[in-house]
Amino acid sequence: MKNLPPENRNPLKIPQTVLHLGLAEVAQGARGAGVPVVEVDFVPPCGGDPRRMALLDELSRPALAARIEEANQQALKRLLTAQPHLVGIGRAREVVPGMRDDLFLHAGPPISWERMSGPLRGAVMGGLLLEGRAKDPQEAARLAAAGAVRFEPCHAHQAVGPMAGLVTPSMPVWILEDRGPNGADGRPRRAFCTLNEGLGKVLRYGAFSSEVIERLRFMAETLAPTLQAALEARGPIDLKTLFAQALQMGDEGHNRNRAGTSLLFRELAPALARTARDGETAARVLEFIHKNDHFFLNLTMPMAKLLLMATEGIPLASCVSIMARNGTDFGIQLSALPGRWFVGPAQVVRGLYFPGFSEKDANPDIGDSAITETAGFGGFAMAAAPAIVQFVGGTPEDALNTTRRMAGITLGANPSFAIPSLGFSGAPTLIDLRKVIELGRLPTINTGIAHREPGVGQVGAGLVTPPWECFHQAFEAFVAHAREA
Amino acid sequence: MPERILIHRAQYHDSAYLMRLSRRLAQSEGISEAVVVMATEMNRALLASVGFRSAELDSARPLDLVVALRGKDLAALERAGAECERLLSQDDRPAASGAAARPASLREALREHPQAELVSVAVPGEYAGHVARQAIEAGRHVFLFSNNVPLEQEIALKREARARDLLLMGPDCGTAILGGVGLGFANRVRRGPVGLVGASGTGLQEVSSLLHQLGSGVSHAIGTGSRDLSAEVGAMMTEAGLRLLAADPDTRVIGLIAKHPAQEVAERLHRLLAGFGKPVVVRFLGQPARSSSAGVKYADSLEEAACLAARLSGAPRDRLEDAASSGAESPVEPEASAPGRLVGLFGGGSLASEAALTLRSRGLPVEEPGEPLLPGQPLPGAAHLVVDCGEEFYTRGKPHPMVDQTVRCELIRRLGADPAVGVLLFDLVLGDGAHPDPAPELAQALEAARAARGRRPLRVFASVTGTELDPQDANRQRGVLERAGARCFPSAWRAAVGAADELLGVRGKDA
Repeated sequence: MKNLPPENRNPLKIPQTVLHLGLAEVAQGARGAGVPVVEVDFVPPCGGDPRRMALLDELSRPALAARIEEANQQALKRLLTAQPHLVGIGRAREVVPGMRDDLFLHAGPPISWERMSGPLRGAVMGGLLLEGRAKDPQEAARLAAAGAVRFEPCHAHQAVGPMAGLVTPSMPVWILEDRGPNGADGRPRRAFCTLNEGLGKVLRYGAFSSEVIERLRFMAETLAPTLQAALEARGPIDLKTLFAQALQMGDEGHNRNRAGTSLLFRELAPALARTARDGETAARVLEFIHKNDHFFLNLTMPMAKLLLMATEGIPLASCVSIMARNGTDFGIQLSALPGRWFVGPAQVVRGLYFPGFSEKDANPDIGDSAITETAGFGGFAMAAAPAIVQFVGGTPEDALNTTRRMAGITLGANPSFAIPSLGFSGAPTLIDLRKVIELGRLPTINTGIAHREPGVGQVGAGLVTPPWECFHQAFEAFVAHAREA
Repeated sequence: MPERILIHRAQYHDSAYLMRLSRRLAQSEGISEAVVVMATEMNRALLASVGFRSAELDSARPLDLVVALRGKDLAALERAGAECERLLSQDDRPAASGAAARPASLREALREHPQAELVSVAVPGEYAGHVARQAIEAGRHVFLFSNNVPLEQEIALKREARARDLLLMGPDCGTAILGGVGLGFANRVRRGPVGLVGASGTGLQEVSSLLHQLGSGVSHAIGTGSRDLSAEVGAMMTEAGLRLLAADPDTRVIGLIAKHPAQEVAERLHRLLAGFGKPVVVRFLGQPARSSSAGVKYADSLEEAACLAARLSGAPRDRLEDAASSGAESPVEPEASAPGRLVGLFGGGSLASEAALTLRSRGLPVEEPGEPLLPGQPLPGAAHLVVDCGEEFYTRGKPHPMVDQTVRCELIRRLGADPAVGVLLFDLVLGDGAHPDPAPELAQALEAARAARGRRPLRVFASVTGTELDPQDANRQRGVLERAGARCFPSAWRAAVGAADELLGVRGKDA
């Protein structure tokens, strides 16, 4: 915050502008005298909690506040200068760091089989069938309960996955690289994500029937090698530029990916036609992409992950680097404290349900896809996606307001992701923990809703927020960390 | 009587809005009590004190909204509950309609309006300090209207402000005038050569209005908050304000108004004031004047302070017109020997204490009751009574009597009708922020009191603090009171003197 220019510092003169909070009558005199009075919205800071107000005041002491400000500017700069590119496809076992034969990755913070929700259990069972470790679902459940495989979060392996987010060793994964100036040890950072299966009965919603497993086999045996050959021929795709266009075509990169999927299709089609084994293979692959409006989601997610990895490890940055859910817990991480989860109960999504389903069928919030909001799009860029507003229950005006409200809890705007309906201002980017606590305003996340039983699939879509517990714990930890830093 | 307590989780509204809402619900048919408040600790205690208790209420958090209703039957409660829902859902304050243009937080506002040098804060006291700190850390002056800010927080904030050469006016700062622009409850007065610093809102209003009436005017009036001159706060902002006025080219005479300063603070201020080289007038309320020296004149009343400052600034007049308007005073029957007890009902706290001091200085016994005067109970003691209707036990859950006169009018009706009472004394403080047209309500209450008394006379003495430039127009307000039979005086001190003369049987001195 800049100080006032010296000529403005003497209070004994007509004020140029008065900022007023609270009872309107108190500013009546200034208004009557023709002085511009800006009414500022007031909500009790920190939800009225005296302890957190005191901690926030501690962070606001000028010397510390200046250091936090500097760290945050660095974080924002690193995010803005990252250049995520799609560079190829590989098998998880071979390309994902730390991947092992007996390891399954899942969405959200760490969780045991005992505490897993229906859709995540269903996905694990499907994974065991896919890997050929179980003959039938009963055996799969028995093996999972007996600890035949270990479970770790995707985020612990530079990966992300929508909904259940299951990654098994044989699955093909997109490989993204940050070609910007932020590489670690001279090597570019990488992020990984599985390929999107489409809608209906799919593993990520906990379905494990034979059609699900067969589709996954097709993806590993046909889709992935064909795409890989096309990508090799075409060369890396600059995802940030591609997504910037999609945003101006009505995507927000989380619940709507129709434009992004179409743009990707255009990028890949010629090379694919040239490199596919035969015409029928090319047609089947292009058809698979064409039929799945969410195909591009599995690229916006690792793109977001790469953007946020660039902010990790800046000691006093007060921004959030991960928001993720496993269907039971919601977890966040901070740029300042990489690797440390702050966890609370996953919430029920408020939204619209497909015919025949209602809130009682819904599983609590699940998936790593909230990484899109964490990186400054998805729900944060709702204003760019009027087409989906009704789906998540609202008006175009609500969409504008959501983006404006999120601007109040973020560090800055991302000029690469310009929103037409807001005068091409950049999407609000990097959630500032301090602002969330002070304003009592949680991030808004756009999301799909999974059925609580394994194997049923998606039952609706809507809006959700993280539980306060994550942010309260993270805030305490950040203050403790800042005292020592 | 059946009651109902409804809790709306996490739904914040400001107290002014909730007061309007409470009042509307209380007027619903069959409803005897309606309280709509945020579930702060204080408000929950308030609810308990009026008999609203529930386990859910005990677990409510400060951001939860509580609707507590009591009525004649369940149907009435049902109706009022539904009405409340309806009003809450169509909240039509400017906040809602202009949402896009309204900054959502002070930080945002500071970013969008870097030229704004002043932040005015009138939010609940438990949050006010936090907001004020943000403003000070951003290098802004602060007008802090809120009260109930903890003393330690006030001291810390004032230290921080002093270190940055900033003014922190408040907490509990009722009035300020900067460059002619009023903040809080301020009267519209001519600009002129007298600069004021004050720890008393109504004291500043009285002196600035009187300076205007004397043909002088005010350069700036700096409020400091009621506790600034305590030993703990050590007059940090009083001193800062005085130094600013000493250096201000528009200010030729300095006035200081405060109640009950700590002795060591008074001494230190005297030394500071004596070194300014500008004439200084001081009024320490509730205390007789100390002897003047070295260009520092101590006045015996707010009126005297205003007159001294007017004289020192070369104003056209240095005395108020002698006579009170005699108005349409009800004729005083000569056979009415003893006028009865005096009851003073004040909106301005400083004006109440000045009236009490004035009456006592004339040898009259005066009590200032420490608890509310309740209906159906005899008046306490035998002495004359001076009541500050701004005391917390009258205002709890209600706006200040300068804004909402319900309590005061009820007291005028009830005590004015009491045969033991013969003299009523009250003030009327006008200006921005105050009630838009207060005199007719007071006049109605007087009329009701008179009607209830039958032929027994009631002498009424009143003062109007304000100017003809105020939104309420002091002349018009005075006219309304006079037609209702009140003798109106140009200052609160003079009204108290008039009432004292009446009680002591001093006649024809100023009439």
